[in-house]
Amino acid sequence: MNLHRHPELIDRLASAHALGTLRGGARRRFETLARQHPAIRAAALAWQARVAGLTELQAPVAPDAAVWTRIRNLVHADQAQAALARQRAAAPAPASSSWWGRLGFWRGATAAATLAAVLGGWVAVGLQHEGEQRIAQLQAELQTQAANQTRIEYVAVLADAQGQARGPEILVTFDAQRQRLTLQRVGGYQEAADKSLQLWALPPDGKPRSLGVLGEDKLLQLTTSAEAVQAVPALAISLEPKGGVPSEGGPTGPVLFSGSLIRSLSL
Amino acid sequence: MPDNRGMSPNATDDLLMELLDRIATRDEAALKTLYDEVSAKLYGVAMRVLGKVEWAEDALQDSFLYIWRAAPDYRASLSPPMAWMGLIVRSRCLDLLRRQQAERVNATQELDETLADQLGSDDPGPLDTHHASQQAQALHRCLSQLEHKQREVVTLAYLRDLSHGELAEQLRLPLGTVKSWIRRGLEKLRGCMAQFA
Repeated sequence: MNLHRHPELIDRLASAHALGTLRGGARRRFETLARQHPAIRAAALAWQARVAGLTELQAPVAPDAAVWTRIRNLVHADQAQAALARQRAAAPAPASSSWWGRLGFWRGATAAATLAAVLGGWVAVGLQHEGEQRIAQLQAELQTQAANQTRIEYVAVLADAQGQARGPEILVTFDAQRQRLTLQRVGGYQEAADKSLQLWALPPDGKPRSLGVLGEDKLLQLTTSAEAVQAVPALAISLEPKGGVPSEGGPTGPVLFSGSLIRSLSL
Repeated sequence: MPDNRGMSPNATDDLLMELLDRIATRDEAALKTLYDEVSAKLYGVAMRVLGKVEWAEDALQDSFLYIWRAAPDYRASLSPPMAWMGLIVRSRCLDLLRRQQAERVNATQELDETLADQLGSDDPGPLDTHHASQQAQALHRCLSQLEHKQREVVTLAYLRDLSHGELAEQLRLPLGTVKSWIRRGLEKLRGCMAQFA
């Protein structure tokens, strides 16, 4: 049956999906269809928003005063940690070896994110899950785009490297023929006035190589040789001093966004 | 606690969004003001999902720390502020519930008895539109057209992320009964929500 020709049934499934009572194979089939058909996806999202209103309608209960004290203490600890991180960022560039430690951490975080994605059903409610869905959706759309426009050979969706609840931040496409790397800002991240975002290729057995520094524009095009991109499994964006840092030393600031570089199979 | 019961949803949203913007700039006083505004509402959700003071306090604490950290991302979510915060609390509560269930299978038995009692009474579950977004106000109007029992199972299914089978078990009702209450409840909701679409 062509589900997208039955708006009434779509609405019924979307409401049960949002409530969480649509389970098992029926849930998976509905989600697959929602990924394929914008109208079904729109119905699902509309019902998610409607049903979420249930959290706004519960009777208030006053929490104990001690809860705020605990929250305040945690926030103070958080701010102290952030201040420490800023101090470190302001310090002179560390030797590249110390950055490797962080790369290791980043790889660990990616593995954790993959595991989280595998356990996706379990994460269900998490905002992270929504973010992951958006990333998967964009990856699929980009691959379709890449398939239609044979000039684009590589695509990547860069998202928060720490696996926090965030969606895609930067879309990258690479046209090998024209040696053109295009970066598009799609998230809300805005670096401070004295900082720049720098794009790195992360080769499997080598140091990260700088591919360029992002300006303030939403869209950026860089000229890059195909060799610099070929056989690179992943890209990352680090936060650097204004204007970026030399490629040889590797990134000096934190890795904010990262993602796999996918080669279009249609060529 | 400041009382904004008389404020329109838009005025409430504006106030909460302004606070979230300030929190995004690491304004701790704004976090305290937000806490005074919405902690009772969010704690009400946590109590409804978890039913236990100790757990609900942990969930509220986690949620506010999350709000503090994620406030810069709030605008991009395109959600009304209370809906955004409500989802955060529900998500934290469900994480906590799953951890507890993994550690101790019968951890929620006590809670289930309270739930079964609630459902047995004729008292219409108190719904509260304080701070609710326009969308939630619409949902409220539609929910009030449901029978008490339908409204309860629909609410519990969502807030506690329960399947038909889990609901039947926890509420000690036949599976068929739970299924038909949910189905009829959702049908009525769909009919009613259509006019707000």
